[in-house]
Amino acid sequence: MSEEMKPQGKAQGKELNNTFDVERFPVTPMSFTKPYWDGTREKKLVIQYCPGAKKYQFYPRPTSIYTGKRNLEWREVAGNGQIYSYTITRRTRPPFRGHEPFAIAMVELDEGVRIMADLVNVTEDQLKIGLRVKPYWHPLPDGQHVLMYTPA
Amino acid sequence: MRDTAIVAFAETKIVEKGDLDVWELGAEVMETLLLRTGIEKSEIDGLILSSSMTGAGNAFWSQATAEFLGLELNFCQTVDIGGSSPNGALARGVAAIEAGLCETVFLLYADTQSSERNNQRPHSFNLEFVAPQGLMGPPGAFGFISRRYEHEFGLDFKSLAKLAVTQRDHAVLNDNACEKLRVPISIDDYMNSRMISDPIRLLDCVMVCDGASGLLLMSKKRAKEKGLSKIVTLAGYGERTNYMATELLFDPTKSGHAVAAERAFKQSGLTPKDIHSFQPYDDFIIANMLQMEAIGFCKRGQGCGYINETNFHFDGDLPFQTGGGQISAGQTGLAGGGVNLVEAVRQLFGEGGKRQVKKSETALVTGIGGIGYGRNWTTSTVVILEREG
Repeated sequence: MSEEMKPQGKAQGKELNNTFDVERFPVTPMSFTKPYWDGTREKKLVIQYCPGAKKYQFYPRPTSIYTGKRNLEWREVAGNGQIYSYTITRRTRPPFRGHEPFAIAMVELDEGVRIMADLVNVTEDQLKIGLRVKPYWHPLPDGQHVLMYTPA
Repeated sequence: MRDTAIVAFAETKIVEKGDLDVWELGAEVMETLLLRTGIEKSEIDGLILSSSMTGAGNAFWSQATAEFLGLELNFCQTVDIGGSSPNGALARGVAAIEAGLCETVFLLYADTQSSERNNQRPHSFNLEFVAPQGLMGPPGAFGFISRRYEHEFGLDFKSLAKLAVTQRDHAVLNDNACEKLRVPISIDDYMNSRMISDPIRLLDCVMVCDGASGLLLMSKKRAKEKGLSKIVTLAGYGERTNYMATELLFDPTKSGHAVAAERAFKQSGLTPKDIHSFQPYDDFIIANMLQMEAIGFCKRGQGCGYINETNFHFDGDLPFQTGGGQISAGQTGLAGGGVNLVEAVRQLFGEGGKRQVKKSETALVTGIGGIGYGRNWTTSTVVILEREG
């Protein structure tokens, strides 16, 4: 990005905020997302695996998006990956307003799915497509966790 | 599809936070269509609505509208493929007439998203897997797409600025455009506008407004009997929802417009070179360019170069967003696709006024609807229109 295209004001710096202090509420899972959220209580990334297609899928669905069969398995995965794309939020709505700038990425997991996640403990200079990242679990009020990512 | 005619179009002024309820906007559109054609209200026996962020929050949107407008109908429905709904409603209206389900169809695209409380509940996957991340809906999604495009092909933001400037020039010539937006902008204004969801800037984004538009459809035979000689037909239509649904490592710089356009061009027998005006759904400036590539006005990854060498003014090489598009005329909520569609019909009727495209026998309109999880848009539509008579 050329110098003239840099955003103005507060967002000019290279520091990005972590979104730890944002007020988040416990998630009420759907019937078919509960195992994922239960896994987060132990900071485990548990996602669906379709034995027919031999592929993972994320986010959780009520059936295999590959075969339409419901013989899905829930498997714990490492969840390491790399940034596929990202955006820096410089102006947003509550409850995230006031926490800008912060980065959100589509992380491509080694398991072959992408997960949308806030990036934490990262600077704008570090951010690039292809950056290796690892899971970072941020607690919610009731014991669940939100999955974030941080440079590996 | 060629047996059905669009016999009239109508559009209200687009305003920010207007004081009219959504049904009053609908009444204005209907009255204009009746006046322009001489058709009696009692002849309307089909009503198809686009989604609405306000009226459609009521589960009985189409029936309530029939009730408010005093319409007795053989066919009544809402099309809910997001911003693609106006185009979807046109295709379904043509299909309904040609299937013999009804004879005279009123297509209404109305929303008051800027003045009424948005009463849509968040989409389920958004609630659990997007909201906790703080992604600001469409600007965030287009931030991902833009960044990835930049990575794959390089992205010259001044090319996007050129599109923004052209659209704004056209809005200045459009009396129905939102007044707040009828002010020319420069390349520098675009480049210096503040970042929202980096690299998406403020001047990349649509502004939500209130407004309505609509079309009246009937068989060509019936139009002829009524003495309505100036008509527009749906020459080609393509629609694709959830493109690459099972491909989780999809490329978000590609969209379903490629397959929708292929189908529409095949039906119409036309090619991109035959298109006299291009009115793509524009929620973000870069969406225009991605669609130019997907539809085949230029090759994939070469959008910026194509933009740099093409004059998109109404009297240029490829007349584009001749009414300002949604970005410069205002996005009438989920009815916003009507802004693009009705402008295309207006140009084909030769009623573009100060911005009339000289040679105007064909037009291509697109629709974008919904945002998938980390994807681009959920539904892509392509409409090719031709003037007859």
